[in-house]
Amino acid sequence: MLFYTTETYLGMIRYIVKRLLYGIGVMVAIVFIVTSIIYNASVDPAEMTFGQRADTGDIEAKRKELGLDQPLYIQQLNYLRDVSPVSFSSDELNKKYQPILSIPLGNKQLVFKLPYLRESYQSGYQVSKILKTKVPRTAILAFFAIFLATLIGISLGVIAALFHNTWIDNIAVVVSVLGYSLPSYVTAIILALFFAYYLGDYTGLSVTGGLTTLNDSGDEVIVWSNLILPVLALGIRPIGIFTQLTRSAMLDVLSQDYIRTARSKGLSTFKVNFKHGLRNALNPVSTSITGWFASLVAGAFFVENVFSYDGLGLETIRALETYDIPVILGVVLFMGATFVIINILSDILYAFLDPRVRLS
Amino acid sequence: MEKKKLLEVINLETHFTTEEGTVKAVDNVSFTVHRGETIGIVGESGSGKSVTSLSAMRLIPNPPGKIVGGQILYYPLEGEPIDLVKLTEEEMQGIRGNEISMIFQEPMTSLNPVFTCGDQVTEAIKLHQNASNYEAKIRALELFEKVQLPTPERIFNAYPHQLSGGQKQRVMIAMAMSCNPDVLIADEPTTALDVTVQKTILELMNDLKKEIDASIIFITHDLGVIAEIADKVIVMYKGKIVEQGSALDLFTNPTHPYTKGLLACRPPLDYRMSRLPIVSDFMDVEMDADGNRTITEKEASLEEVIESVKVKPEATKARMESLMAKEPILQVKGLKTWFPTERNFFGKVTKYVKAVDDVSFDVYPGETLGLVGESGCGKTTLGRTLLRLAPAKEGQILFQGKDVLSLNHSDMKDLRRDMQIIFQDPYSSLNPRMTIGNAIMEPMQVHGILANDKERKEKVVELLETVSLEARHFSRYPHEFSGGQRQRICVARALAMNPKFIICDESVSALDVSVQAQVLNLLMELRQKFDFTYIFISHDLSVVKFMSDRMIVMNKGKIEEAGIADEIYSNPQKAYTQKLIAAIPKGKTEDIISRLG
Repeated sequence: MLFYTTETYLGMIRYIVKRLLYGIGVMVAIVFIVTSIIYNASVDPAEMTFGQRADTGDIEAKRKELGLDQPLYIQQLNYLRDVSPVSFSSDELNKKYQPILSIPLGNKQLVFKLPYLRESYQSGYQVSKILKTKVPRTAILAFFAIFLATLIGISLGVIAALFHNTWIDNIAVVVSVLGYSLPSYVTAIILALFFAYYLGDYTGLSVTGGLTTLNDSGDEVIVWSNLILPVLALGIRPIGIFTQLTRSAMLDVLSQDYIRTARSKGLSTFKVNFKHGLRNALNPVSTSITGWFASLVAGAFFVENVFSYDGLGLETIRALETYDIPVILGVVLFMGATFVIINILSDILYAFLDPRVRLS
Repeated sequence: MEKKKLLEVINLETHFTTEEGTVKAVDNVSFTVHRGETIGIVGESGSGKSVTSLSAMRLIPNPPGKIVGGQILYYPLEGEPIDLVKLTEEEMQGIRGNEISMIFQEPMTSLNPVFTCGDQVTEAIKLHQNASNYEAKIRALELFEKVQLPTPERIFNAYPHQLSGGQKQRVMIAMAMSCNPDVLIADEPTTALDVTVQKTILELMNDLKKEIDASIIFITHDLGVIAEIADKVIVMYKGKIVEQGSALDLFTNPTHPYTKGLLACRPPLDYRMSRLPIVSDFMDVEMDADGNRTITEKEASLEEVIESVKVKPEATKARMESLMAKEPILQVKGLKTWFPTERNFFGKVTKYVKAVDDVSFDVYPGETLGLVGESGCGKTTLGRTLLRLAPAKEGQILFQGKDVLSLNHSDMKDLRRDMQIIFQDPYSSLNPRMTIGNAIMEPMQVHGILANDKERKEKVVELLETVSLEARHFSRYPHEFSGGQRQRICVARALAMNPKFIICDESVSALDVSVQAQVLNLLMELRQKFDFTYIFISHDLSVVKFMSDRMIVMNKGKIEEAGIADEIYSNPQKAYTQKLIAAIPKGKTEDIISRLG
């Protein structure tokens, strides 16, 4: 029913391609900046792999094995070669890369592959495997938190706007300001203390625990109740933000001329407020929601630590403590990619929601 | 045949509670609308004309507004009259859009941007007439046909931003007519539109009036528009009705001095004036401590006032000769400003909008050059290109012999001091968080005019007085001023730079006719006092003609016609110019007589 022209589609595709190219640039920059910081630290990652009892010879050998003896820029370029989906490779490297397609070029090969994120210095597992098990747990946490925040935040915001300048509005504003002023790790500790420690007997919630646990027969089972407190802790800031955003967007929209037009047609107050009002107010809110989803994955790090929830955050903190460079880099790159992709998605979503954006 | 009563407003009082106290926006207003009649309500902003109509729709925003007294009786075809003031909100929803509907001033913002035009029109039909989706669509397409929208099917599926202003207003009219209302209230429906579009909308409304059995309440600040459409006219001033009567009586024999002022302040087309008559030529208003106004009428008659400001054609001719004797201050040669609209996949431009396309002209010192045309003709872009606020693609601009397009940054800064621009919208061109004194002082600080802030402050006070404001206004904020006052502030800000050359870009288009006259007079006075050169840009040919010595008619980026303003008006060569002239509401009694038969 919309009349898109070919130019509109072309413009959209050109825009997305451009954003993706920028995204790649961002990723490369992330690799250089993060590696520069980590490798220049006064800690020796090779030493960290041995713990207490290591002699200099072993450490030296380990340094060589991990390529840590090379100059920084060589290490950085090597890492880039490993993570890039397209790169030059040798037979030896191909064992790690497991390329999807390789084209022989003299004694080297041009290969197409999934990014190779190397192996953990500590556990020896492939970083991509680690991400594969940990990311879904954090994603579930972030997803439920954003879902809760969207539901409660938008409802509170709408109520506050409809009861503008009454005590209901004032309470909603105070609560939301409080919500987004508290850092999530503080909320996490308060929640854990209150609902799991003091009231643990009534709520049946435990202070710490991951998404899965082993049952008596040794199978891995999901413990959904362990999600409740982390989701709450993570969701409270976005609830505050979405309430504020929805409220101000709604107040702005309700003062627009087209709302008066809708009323002049004789529409019921409900239809005016929700069909004509909320539908417009949601446009700015929805982009903010997608943006926040990416931030929540990052915010989950603190919350996971408080609740010992075995997701990406806990893994990252472990990696940071032991200078497990491949894991740290892998997580940072993954987060970077998540942000880039979600930002592009949120732009597309906005164009979908607001017909005025589609044409320009 | 005795006309049946349709709407009777009796002693209506609508008040607004503000921080400063109660404002009687509508103060004891009574009038009657009969079936099949078109009533014009005229007055300047703040006269209460819109509030009166919104009261009838019960759409007064509450708080702060409230109907505190009076009755609004609606007489349905059958049954007892209904007092709209006493209805509950739910009962009123049954009347709105069904019995009484409304068209608003701003077609740009009055349609919901996220729904298609079709959705918005069928919504009311489905609501009031229990029509199915299909029936509602058929009806909407019929209505689009009736309001003469091209390709109704396409408009039905289009979003508001894809339509022009005139088309949007037609959609609004279709929406208002969708349930065959008894009363159609049109609140300044043409004010935001070009004169040419205004003419077509007025014609449409006149056609529809004959076709449907509705009464129209037409609200406007422009008596010229009233003359084109109304049978009866109500003149409102500060919440009160000061005069009401048949259109013909009002135009031939206005009794209230305010009406006379409104009639006289429209820029005339057939003769030249040194300044426009304004309302205060006809009356003085004094306000006592309680906010009550006493109006004292002045002796002057309409004819006397107009006669006193007329300029003889010989004087105009002499002025032209002395102007053209000098070297041009600004020369524009082959100027092109093209904006890219389409690019291929690699970002290479494949299509341009030729906003200004090969335009050449000269401006002489002390002269006012008018630039007239419909929206989108490129006149605004041309003005901006002269100041390099829009990028020129080709051509040459010589200001006092210097090539503007090749100036470096610091020379450009000097040029922007000599050439000032006054924009259209006095509401958005002033920073709401800056006192007006500081707003005027800021460019002086940027350009290092005068030694210190103390001297600059004195200069600002002097400027405020030049534009008929007062020294005490220095530390006030823009929202405390009316539209006309704000435009004066913008003028003062431009004057602060001691410019030689001022571009007025639709500087009076957002103002009421009566306020417009005051600002135009101010600009005229300043021209004499400081010997300014103006480029005066407007879509309104009558305003341009009043201000300008010579004028350029622009169409689609090109110059359609150029020459001495009076000659272009009296003897337009091009069809486009003739169309523009024909579109201006003249407000002549002969026209009213022929229209009313």
